[in-house]
Amino acid sequence: MKRVLLVFFLIPFFSLSQEDLLAEIDNDSTGIQYESATFKGLKIVNFESTKLVANNEFTLVVSHRFGSLKNGVDTFFGLDDAVTRINFIFGITDGLNISVSRSSFMKIYEGSLKYRLFKQEKNGFPFTIVGYNSMLINTALPKTNYPLIEFKHRVGYTSQILIARKLNTSLSVELAPTVFHDNFVVLDEQDNTQYALGIGGRYKLSKRWSLNADYGWHFNRADNSPFKNPLSIGVDLETGGHVFQMHFTNAQGMNTNTFLGQTSGDWGDGDIYFGFNLSRRF
Amino acid sequence: MKHLICIALLCLSTTMFAQSKYLTKTGTVGFEASVPSFEEVKATNSAVTAVINTDNGEFAALVLVKGFRFKNALMEEHFNENYAESDTYPKASFKGKIKDFELSKLTNQSQNFKISGALTFHGKTNQFNDLDVKISKDNEIINISGNFKTLASNFDIKIPKIVRNKIAEDVLVTFNFKLIKK
Repeated sequence: MKRVLLVFFLIPFFSLSQEDLLAEIDNDSTGIQYESATFKGLKIVNFESTKLVANNEFTLVVSHRFGSLKNGVDTFFGLDDAVTRINFIFGITDGLNISVSRSSFMKIYEGSLKYRLFKQEKNGFPFTIVGYNSMLINTALPKTNYPLIEFKHRVGYTSQILIARKLNTSLSVELAPTVFHDNFVVLDEQDNTQYALGIGGRYKLSKRWSLNADYGWHFNRADNSPFKNPLSIGVDLETGGHVFQMHFTNAQGMNTNTFLGQTSGDWGDGDIYFGFNLSRRF
Repeated sequence: MKHLICIALLCLSTTMFAQSKYLTKTGTVGFEASVPSFEEVKATNSAVTAVINTDNGEFAALVLVKGFRFKNALMEEHFNENYAESDTYPKASFKGKIKDFELSKLTNQSQNFKISGALTFHGKTNQFNDLDVKISKDNEIINISGNFKTLASNFDIKIPKIVRNKIAEDVLVTFNFKLIKK
């Protein structure tokens, strides 16, 4: 009898070796999990998003802003006065991008660096933080209109910190404290160094569509400045290798200095522009 | 005497537990859903955990879905966000049994076996029966490899119309595990 009892005691040991194999390897530690797809486009609309081009990949972004819609059929809702920006971005690493662009708005050449400082973790660090610095050269400003202009007047700079958080699978938001400096500003009363806060977000409507918006809040615009804060609303459509962004905005310039400093459109007057950013990865 | 038997049994049971498993944490699982003349839709995960119980041929594998690496970072992002939904379903697993498995029969020449079991991915579980696997044993390493085909729709993965001609509906899954005695 006792012997039988002992055998019973041993049963747990035998059954232990028969235990569910999957449960044995399925420990809950998944390592550090980073949030992904906070933004799918390199830009929210006008503002840079926290997304970077991956290591050794090449992306071309072609952006258009048509002319103002308010002139109606006379300019065919802005088709006649479109501006274009062509932007090449290369991923030196997953966390460091270099880009060059040319915009037909003020004939601006721009070179920029974008670099990731922190990545949002699940149950860890709450934000993705990316730095963005660029240098612009405005090659419009013809000598006939500005006889005293020198090369140094054509130069401008942007410094931005992009702070984004993916709140849930459909909503991501971003804040972008920005300092930008133009060596030449059209308005004498306007400080050359200007401060602004960008506010933007992405809301997923479905798996391939999202609603995007951003707003630039300028802090030291001159009192008599004709320029406005840029507000843009649009949608992203993802089609594999492309991300299409279509939007309405009151800013026609596409460089940070131009859409923050020289936005002339006004949502109240219907003086807005239709535009799109088309990105293609190589 | 009774105590002796008891201790002997106890030792036997614990040694069986310790010696009957072979394990890897660096197994490879890949899948491919490419369509000829379009961009390759292919990914590999080289951090798959797998374990085999050599007493009875039971086999299990666990994959972290975010560990699949594509050629193209954007494709990887699309895969995780819109297809595998890896935030909601972070793990994929397989649990099954190799038919007529016997450790002593294995040689360094690979032999064909049949495996049956349940594969869970994207929150859906599908039963697979008698899939071919090749098994060999080299010193203390058991090598298990093979491949099989399945449909994306079996795992509730919808391929949108806009990319339907670029992504194949039938997916080729390949696997390779080098299991080391635990």
